[in-house]
Amino acid sequence: MSKGAQIAVGATAVAVLLAWYGATNLEPGSTYQYYQTLDEFLAAGPGERGDSLRVHGYVADGSIERDVGGKQVFFAVQNDPPHAAVAPSGSLRVVYLGLETPDLFADGAEVVIEGRLDGEGDRAVFIAHNVLAKCPSKFEAQAPEAAEL
Amino acid sequence: MSDIGLYALRFALAAALVGIAAGVAAGVARRADWTRVAERAVWLVLAFVSLSMFSLFWALANHDYQLVYVAAHSATTMPLHYRLAALWGGQAGSLLLWLWMLCAYSAGAIWASRRSNRTLVPWVVVMLMANATFFLVLTNFVTSPFEKVPPGQVLSDGTGLNPLLQHPVMMIHPLMLYTGFVGFAVPFSFAFAALVTGELGTTWFRTTRRWTLFAWAVLGVAILLGGRWAYEVLGWGGYWAWDPVENASFMPWLVATAYIHSVMIQEKRDMLKIWNLVLIGMTYGLCLFGTFLTRSGIVQSVHAFAQTDWFGKIFLAYLLCVVALFFGALLYRRRELRSTNRLESVVSREASFLLNNWIFLAILVVVFTGTLFPVATEWVTGEKIVVGPKFFNTMAGPLALFLLLLVGVGPLIAWRRASFASIRRQFVWPASAGVACAALLGAILWGDVGFWPLTCWSLCAFVIATIVQEYAQAIAARVSRRGESVVRAFATLLRRNQRRYGGYIVHLGIVFVLIGVAGASFNQERLENIQPGESMVIEPYRLEYLTADAIPEQHYGGARARIALYRGETGLTTMTPEKRVYWLEQQPASIPAIYSTLQEDVYVILTNIEHDGSATLKVYRNPLVNWLWIGGGVFILGSLAVMWPHPSRESQTG
Repeated sequence: MSKGAQIAVGATAVAVLLAWYGATNLEPGSTYQYYQTLDEFLAAGPGERGDSLRVHGYVADGSIERDVGGKQVFFAVQNDPPHAAVAPSGSLRVVYLGLETPDLFADGAEVVIEGRLDGEGDRAVFIAHNVLAKCPSKFEAQAPEAAEL
Repeated sequence: MSDIGLYALRFALAAALVGIAAGVAAGVARRADWTRVAERAVWLVLAFVSLSMFSLFWALANHDYQLVYVAAHSATTMPLHYRLAALWGGQAGSLLLWLWMLCAYSAGAIWASRRSNRTLVPWVVVMLMANATFFLVLTNFVTSPFEKVPPGQVLSDGTGLNPLLQHPVMMIHPLMLYTGFVGFAVPFSFAFAALVTGELGTTWFRTTRRWTLFAWAVLGVAILLGGRWAYEVLGWGGYWAWDPVENASFMPWLVATAYIHSVMIQEKRDMLKIWNLVLIGMTYGLCLFGTFLTRSGIVQSVHAFAQTDWFGKIFLAYLLCVVALFFGALLYRRRELRSTNRLESVVSREASFLLNNWIFLAILVVVFTGTLFPVATEWVTGEKIVVGPKFFNTMAGPLALFLLLLVGVGPLIAWRRASFASIRRQFVWPASAGVACAALLGAILWGDVGFWPLTCWSLCAFVIATIVQEYAQAIAARVSRRGESVVRAFATLLRRNQRRYGGYIVHLGIVFVLIGVAGASFNQERLENIQPGESMVIEPYRLEYLTADAIPEQHYGGARARIALYRGETGLTTMTPEKRVYWLEQQPASIPAIYSTLQEDVYVILTNIEHDGSATLKVYRNPLVNWLWIGGGVFILGSLAVMWPHPSRESQTG
């Protein structure tokens, strides 16, 4: 067997092993998630994406409400920044199960919410187990993990 | 002053082009006088770029808000050291820093080879200056740090630096990261020169051995420092989140580590010539790719990347050009790179090193796949799928443990072919140490911790035992044969055979880091809202919330909670987590308080002071985190031992 063939066989074997290991050990939801903007998410309709999603949007002005006793935070997200020229399209109510929102979480902040949708139509609520907030555009990319929760 | 910087960059570009032209001329015609021109051009570029750097430092120090960059990244109230550090706080400045580093490395490499490698040097200059030219074009014409605010719109103060970057670690972390990244340009350029000239012997990597080790060690420390910064500033209780930005710095380090090992096989056994060239090509390619990844915003992470589209495009084009040039040259020389030796036995040090290389690359594949998964799935299916930390941990964890096993096994196996008897003799007691550790920890901790951390710690015990055994045998031999004292024998070993015994210290550092990483698998967290005087419990600790007061600082305000930490009835310390608001930037920041011991950290974040005066606290109990930083220190010592200049270094054996 030539050296090239040996390497090819070796590489294939390693790749197959890794793929097999990955396929048997990785479950959807906890390890990978769909990433959508709010409009995409609302257009896709409820229930289509299982129970682990990442949705991107902006916190609606004046919507944040902290429930300290119940250890949760209520807010609403919309697809576009609150001050953008476009009129806000659909918004979505969110319950975050926790109180430790990121530092940059505020009215108008760009956020990514992780979790699942509960209920239908007007009563739909997104139950988030994680909220990530982006730096406002004023700052450049230099804070690598700056917005990590 | 800022005009000087601007024009210095223009002149530097011209000088770099002269350097390339002279380098090509010297390389093709083999003329020493042209080589000298090329070398002087490098020094000239360094001089101009240094002038430009100085000019930007000057502008930052003296509040020259005519410059867009200064206005956007500093403010009058910021202390001088953070104003200066703002040079790498933004895009244009950090490109200038990269460029300066590249020039400094170029000049250093040229100087180190001033009396040797005369045929390689012209092509080394060509490659280095080609890279410099790209960054010069960027800083001259695309994102100039000397761009001016339109007259009449100059403000009296700047908008300040992102407060999260106003931290001591952040002053040196980017600096070290770039020192690591750019350092690989030197071995890369020598490898390129070797390919062009056909001088494919051991010269190119022997010449650049220290440069490579230096870049590799600095990059390793930079990655760890990045983790430390995340831990102390970002307040999410961890130090590593497999974020694209972190992965971008981790990937070149993985390949570089593989290279550092496999190049030893080439040195000893004249094997793997192509492989080593591939690895060094990949390392530098990944350094550029990492910069591209973090600068172009191709991967949608939680970070804001205020970039123009075409910045990413030209960077990608540059990256592809550099890589294509290198691998094209490699393809052209492939027939001359055939190995003269073959692997003699799978039970040999070569084989274990080779296996180590495969695993490093497998980890690279995992990290690469995970990082680019959203991009790939969007191309293929039109939908982004993001993979989380669990993907990386599940996939890379077992590979890392296998690697850990090899760290212990590799150095104990002989070159070429190991005999069964020697293996038994070498492995008896390290293996028993590993088994004993597994049994002991299993008896105490089974049920609390799972299979993976136990395996990790047992393997760590095994590796530490092999290292101790190696030192003990060698020291005992010197003591009995020459009557040296133990300390002296230790020092002699390190000096005489710095690569082997220094390498063991580096391994020890890595082992300590992994001990700490495995500790993360039994982290605990609590979130509670408590009134002053009340306590919350995270076994075996109790945290009593005393009071909250306002922060009396100039640049930021906010609240600071005072929390008494008890273990049982013993008071340990008072912790003061802060919730800051930076006035100028209008940005909040939670600064955690950390009580750190060798065993574990208690990590407290003040989530909020509520209207009724109660505090909402998030508390983590993170075992063994300190071992990461200790491991980092040992890693630095080991790297220094390996790199330390030594007069008779050519004569030593590994």
